[in-house]
Order: sequence, then structure tokens, then C-alpha cells
Amino acid sequence: MNNANDIQNNQDLAFFGKINANISHELKNILAIISETAGLLNDLTVLAEKGKKVDMDMFRTCSQDIEEEIQRGFATVKQMNTFSHSVDTSVKSVNLLNILKLMINIAGFLSYASKTRVNPPQDAELMILTCPYQLQHLIYQVLVVAFKTTGTGEEIQISIYPEKNGDVRIIFSDLGELYDEKFPIDKIFAIAASIDVKIFIADDFQTFDLLIPEAIKTVTMMGAHD
Amino acid sequence: MKILLVDDEKKFAIMLSKRLALRGIDVDVVFTGEDAVKKTEINRYDVAILDVKMPGIGGIKLRRKLIELNSEMKIIFLTGHGSESDFKIGSAEAACYLSKPLHIETLIKILHKVAG
Repeated sequence: MNNANDIQNNQDLAFFGKINANISHELKNILAIISETAGLLNDLTVLAEKGKKVDMDMFRTCSQDIEEEIQRGFATVKQMNTFSHSVDTSVKSVNLLNILKLMINIAGFLSYASKTRVNPPQDAELMILTCPYQLQHLIYQVLVVAFKTTGTGEEIQISIYPEKNGDVRIIFSDLGELYDEKFPIDKIFAIAASIDVKIFIADDFQTFDLLIPEAIKTVTMMGAHD
Repeated sequence: MKILLVDDEKKFAIMLSKRLALRGIDVDVVFTGEDAVKKTEINRYDVAILDVKMPGIGGIKLRRKLIELNSEMKIIFLTGHGSESDFKIGSAEAACYLSKPLHIETLIKILHKVAG
């Protein structure tokens, strides 16, 4: 690893790999459920063929479960596809709410994920010109830290406020205490700087505030921040 | 044979427990590590099948808690990940390490083998 470009490429690739691992794990869980449910259907069929009394509701429940899991699988594949195409263009116009929801869904696959409640603004335009991949990277890292500080049973509030100048503020609140040396705060600041996002952490370290510009022209090298 | 199945993927755990029950295995199913500890405090299990990655107490930590309660209980780790690092941890700490999806007849053979 020789320069800032190498560092950024390495971190970008690591993030891409992490997201793919999360999604493949989710797909594997879905397939495992379908596999066991189909197996149970087969077990019940064998019993019925042997003349044993079988509860017909079990067949119906199994069929419904398989259908539900297939729909869950389609939704997961759609998320994977959306994420994969986010690297197609370095800077483009994107819907911030859609990116936020995508990252919440994907980060939600993590075993330590907290609950989240998104409070979007009413009738507000949330289109911004940015690097979608880096913005996803930033939001994901913030969510990971938020989940780790908050815990699985708790709920994080995510509020979105459009500013008058077109910038958008995302506030992650109801977090555990953010300051901890093991959390990658420096990394988060570096990713944010690459897309001109400003970060504010409240004095109690329990609120994370991202100020996202309405438009950026280029992506700055992450290494240049430090 | 009495077994404890612990997995936060509720549908998976329920389906697998029904299939095991159809094959004559006495199985209790819970969805969190915390509930697994409570169950083990009042029941004598021969084998516990533990999902590695769960909210709260994960499988690796849970194994140590359960062994403290019942040192004779055998542990089988189960994972959807199947990564090399998971496999190393799982192989070192458990009687067996399995990756989803499972083949039910293979699982039955493994259960009988580890339970002795």
C-alpha cells in the first residue's frame, strides 16, 4: 500500500466485500429456511403416503412460509443489485432517503443490529448530487458504530432535516456513548471528508449529526483528510 | 436423546425442530442465548445446537456459559456464514461445526455420534 489512492481503493474494496458478505449471509439464511420447510413438507407427504394422519394446516403453513421467504429473497437480491450499481457513476443525483433505507436494511442483517426508526420530513425534496458509494459507506459505518454502542434491544432515531440552502442533515440519536477507542471514528471522518459531509457529535456523545451538501463536484481522496 | 436448538432465525429453528421431532428426537427450541441459559438451568440436555452469530449472547460465548451449567453437554455449532475464521473457532470449541443448509439425515447421524 503506497499512497492515499491505494488506501482508498483498499477501504472501498473492503466495504464492498463486507456488504456482499452481509447479503450472502442473509440469502443463505433464507435458503436454509426454504430448505427446512420443503424438507418438512416432504416429511409430511411421506407420513401421509404411509396412511398416518397429517394436519392439513401444516401443509398450508409450510407453503405460505416458503412463499414469504422467496419474497424476502427477491427483496434482498434487489437490494444487492441496487448496491452493486452504486459504483457505476462516481458522482450523480440520488435520493437520500432511498440510500439511507438501503443501508439500514443491509446493516440490519448484522447480528448486533439495533432497531431503527426513520423520521423523514414531510413533502421535502431529498435529491442530492454526491458519490452514492461513499455516502453509503459513510451511513453504513455510522450505523455500525450506532448499533455497537446502543445494543440489539434498543431503538435508534434517525431524523432527516432539509436545510434552506439545499443541504440535508441526518441526525442519529438515542445512541449509547459514541466515544470509544475501538470504534472507527477517524475512518468515519475520513469518509465524510471525501464527500464534503460535516460531522457533529453532541457533547454527551449520544448524537451523531451528518450535514450532507446538496451537491459536490468530485470525490476527495480519503487519505488527504488526515 | 434430549437436545437444545438455539437460533435467532425463528422459522429455521422451528422447522428444523419439527423435523427432528418427527424422527423421535426430544428437542427444545429457543431464539436467544439468554433463553438458552434459562432452559439449561432447568433441563439436562445431551446436545446443544448453537447458531454462532446471534444478537445478545453469540454462540461462542453461549457455549462457555452452557458448559458451566452442564459440563457433559455436547455442543454443535451452526452457522450461515461458514467463513474460514468461523470454522477455525467452531472446530476448536465444539464437538462439531455445521454450515447451513443442513441435510437432516446427516444431522441425525452427527447427533447420535456426538451424544455417544
